[in-house]
Amino acid sequence: MSLEIRTLSEIMNPPQTADSPLSTQEYFVNMGPQHPATHGVLRLVLKMDGETIREVIPVLGYIHRSIEKMAEYLHGRQIVHLTDRMDYLSALANNWAVSRAVETAMGVQTNPRIETIRTLICELQRVQSHQLWWGVLGLDLGALTSFFYGFRDREEITDILEETTGARLTMNYIQPGGLMFDLHPNFVPRVKAFIKYFRPKLDEYETLLSENVILQERLRNVGVLSAEDAIGYGATGPVLRASGIPLDLRKQQPYGVYDQVEFSVPVGTVGDCWDRYWIRIEEMRQSLGIIEQLIDNIPDGKFMEMKPAAKLKLPAGSFYLQIETARGSLGVFLQGTGEDIPHRCHFRSPNFNNLWSVTKTAVGGKIADLVAIVSTLDLVIPDVDR
Amino acid sequence: MFNRQGIKQQQVKVGGKQLTIIQAPRPQRTSQVATVWGALCSLWNGMRVTWRYFSRPSSIVTQQYPENREHLKIPERFRAQLRLKYDENGEHNCTGCKICDVQCPNASIEVIDMRGESGKKEIDRFVWRMDICTFCNICVMVCPFDALEMSNEFESSVYDKRLLTYQLNRYAGPTKKAFEKIESSADRERLKVGRQPFEAPTPLGIAAGVASGPGVSVAPPSTMKKDDI
Repeated sequence: MSLEIRTLSEIMNPPQTADSPLSTQEYFVNMGPQHPATHGVLRLVLKMDGETIREVIPVLGYIHRSIEKMAEYLHGRQIVHLTDRMDYLSALANNWAVSRAVETAMGVQTNPRIETIRTLICELQRVQSHQLWWGVLGLDLGALTSFFYGFRDREEITDILEETTGARLTMNYIQPGGLMFDLHPNFVPRVKAFIKYFRPKLDEYETLLSENVILQERLRNVGVLSAEDAIGYGATGPVLRASGIPLDLRKQQPYGVYDQVEFSVPVGTVGDCWDRYWIRIEEMRQSLGIIEQLIDNIPDGKFMEMKPAAKLKLPAGSFYLQIETARGSLGVFLQGTGEDIPHRCHFRSPNFNNLWSVTKTAVGGKIADLVAIVSTLDLVIPDVDR
Repeated sequence: MFNRQGIKQQQVKVGGKQLTIIQAPRPQRTSQVATVWGALCSLWNGMRVTWRYFSRPSSIVTQQYPENREHLKIPERFRAQLRLKYDENGEHNCTGCKICDVQCPNASIEVIDMRGESGKKEIDRFVWRMDICTFCNICVMVCPFDALEMSNEFESSVYDKRLLTYQLNRYAGPTKKAFEKIESSADRERLKVGRQPFEAPTPLGIAAGVASGPGVSVAPPSTMKKDDI
């Protein structure tokens, strides 16, 4: 396998060659960094031939906040609040990943109540994240209504989470050794009411978008990512499962109480935008099923197993842990030296790898296809740059 | 609702784990005419959902802020402003132990202590910089004396950045517990040295030598001169 390394200026300013007999001319278009369809400050440099895309070059770094470097000066409890700002739509799963890494390194045991609440609240946020994705997908493809419906139902979960965690987006709820607060007394009845409310709404989602033939035609056989390419690019989560590989860390490496609940893994057959779309819709149903199984069986116990201000000493050695967020597997690498701050902290973020599959899938398509592809990849740009 | 009849479920073994997979169904179109007809029908179905909501005012969820200020409900755990807890006598629990100062991830808390009349350490200034605070709630969680809380006053915008540096303690002096041992109220009032919310040493104030009260020993940045401001 050969590896070609080119800078952006080399691509955009190729050496002058003999005149082409064709009357077409390749040109470059900047999509982003300020573009509503890139969902943040992502810049895609497109090499175009007419309206056909010849090459996609993602340019990163517009929202780089050096979270990994900052983590080298903070101890385990303080790193957690930075991960809220990475993938802000699955902040709780990010918190859990760091907390689990610190707990595993230090050998801290948590009780079943903590693990159940973590599982429950992360599944709620997975539904919430997919709701936002569904609304924004409609918006990107020209259907404004779905955006409002997605946000209306997302607001219900945000209110439930706000009551328990005290924040709407940057929650910082799951801490090394436990949770920041106990569950709010209103949590269980409100979640039950939400499931009752949301199941019919999910069917409505299908009427609005899944059954819509225009949407089906815009997603079907667009942006096909084969299983080999998906593995090659390191894609995870719904993007990988859409390519037909049933890899779900909740099944393969069960954490929390995922080994005690029943759920299925939706997989695609072709790996196009339609498969990625349908998998996320089905994942919402499966997540609701997991919540229904757990909501009545929350064991009693403490919500924090450590003293709140206890010193978190990372033992010498390297620790790596993965967790399945709404977008794929988030890996946390911590290198301890026996002090409380890590020598090195690295996040293997799902969005970074998922993003690069666009360089393969969008080639040969139109710009409108690229919008559909970027939308179904469900990118959160602060997680790409960190 | 999308037709769920043709969805296949099967058991597979991946990585030594048995799991049930659901295969995504694929929409099939036979001809161009069927596609166009199907698109029109699905548009009609989608519009029916939209019109159903449009014709029902009870389904409106929009909140008219700021008109609804009186009955706006903010959850009690919502993190808006850091505050010291005060009892009915206006006394707090803070001893100036600096645990919150040490645990704060972005140094937005600065606790300055002093020697009190009894020779014990007491709080002099509790400086909280809201402009660099990320509202992670760690300070409230780690406080061993339950002296801090997050209040719900979320309307905190100001016109001057310097007004985002708060001094949280209303007085410098002993804690609630220490006051319980003092009998006369005159003695109590004498021990409370008043502190104002905005007289905390701000970054600009420190450089200018303004508002650097007793106990504050922060050197101004070497690049900044007194005439600069």
